[in-house]
Amino acid sequence: MKIDPELCIACEACIPYCPMGAISMGDDVAAINQDECVECGICLRSGSCPVDAFVEEKHPWPRQIRAEFSNPTVPHHSTGIAGRGTEEVKTNEVTGRLKPGWLAFAVEFGRPVTGARFRDVDTVAQALAKLGVTFEPINPVTALMEDTKTGKIREDILNEKVLSAIIECVFPREKAPEVLNTLQEAVKKIDTVCSVDLADLVEPDESVPAEKMLDEMGIFHRINGKTNVGFGRPKYKGGN
Amino acid sequence: MTHTLHRSGTEESLGGDFVFLYMPAFGINNIDSGPKLRQFLEIAQRHNPVSFGDGFHGNVFAKGRENILNNIKKDGSVVHAVFDNEEDAAGMLKDIKEADLGLSLVVSGIFDRVKGICQKNGIHRHAATYSLGIWGKTEKLPPDEVLDVITMCGHGMVSAGRVNFMADEVRAGRKSAEDAAKELASQCDCGIFNPSRAAKLLTALAKK
Repeated sequence: MKIDPELCIACEACIPYCPMGAISMGDDVAAINQDECVECGICLRSGSCPVDAFVEEKHPWPRQIRAEFSNPTVPHHSTGIAGRGTEEVKTNEVTGRLKPGWLAFAVEFGRPVTGARFRDVDTVAQALAKLGVTFEPINPVTALMEDTKTGKIREDILNEKVLSAIIECVFPREKAPEVLNTLQEAVKKIDTVCSVDLADLVEPDESVPAEKMLDEMGIFHRINGKTNVGFGRPKYKGGN
Repeated sequence: MTHTLHRSGTEESLGGDFVFLYMPAFGINNIDSGPKLRQFLEIAQRHNPVSFGDGFHGNVFAKGRENILNNIKKDGSVVHAVFDNEEDAAGMLKDIKEADLGLSLVVSGIFDRVKGICQKNGIHRHAATYSLGIWGKTEKLPPDEVLDVITMCGHGMVSAGRVNFMADEVRAGRKSAEDAAKELASQCDCGIFNPSRAAKLLTALAKK
């Protein structure tokens, strides 16, 4: 995103809209720090500018991935779907992506507020890959890996900054302590934050094994979260 | 798409925050799902939603009710409705169960309360997703009271700067907390930002 200096009237109305704080006043007009801008487009879509001075450009590779990972209205070139991740367990009663005895795990870099560069995603993805986790095949971050066995993210995008990017993977439940401990160590090497989540199936007695496991491990989890109530059909083979 | 997860706040505040997400499984039951998604949003209108929207099109504050209802893609989208109390959420869940439209419903909220309204309606839950909070360089984050507002837009479209600006407007008496909250809600493309809860949070922020 850019601001047309011929149109800008220096009213400063746009400045607070930027989630990355990338808009500031230059000599006489507002300007956008292109290294920090993640191309989310909220400055434009919000209608914050009274003189329509924002100019949205189509960017070539690798900058094009900024909008794909930051603007929720722009689809990913790899999956054709807008948004940061996948359907994960939201449609699981139909897809059967998460099977009994397995856990679905996601690490969303840059959320909230800070944004993230792919070099930080790379650090954690490579650490998790060493544990033999299975990265979600249709996730847009997985599509940027040179090799899903190593988790290595392609070199030419490592400095690209996005509002957030999600690693999604599944692993057998018994591997959870190892995965969580590895993540605790890996995040010490990154220059951003990440929001972390873990999904499990609900047992017939309404208990959730992952919740008990997190409590036993002393891992914090919020009192609120997402519940798939199981209304979708057809159910996957073996689903309830 | 974990956009309805990771909402921070106190138990009292989160008790007024129920987000319903309704969607097909793409590649399996998405063909001709548009009318079912519209029906979901129409049912939501009976239960006092404080926000609603279509993840592929926009939210009610930016686009308007009819515009949202009339532009749902024929072969699938992701639609949302937000409720600020358990009674409305329970009524919505009951009606969606009875409508039996066959798409996937995810309810975000305090687990015990969502479990409670499921049990009242004879629903066995399929799966639960837990937020393990924020890891890494948390020293980069704004104060908790600002985070509680901005985490209601999971795609990060509501900035900390905008929340602080609105708190200033409320403090100065230039805007009501309700109007300020609706302006913030209009930036959340999917319509999952809860302006009712945000108004209370902005009121508290403005007193600081």
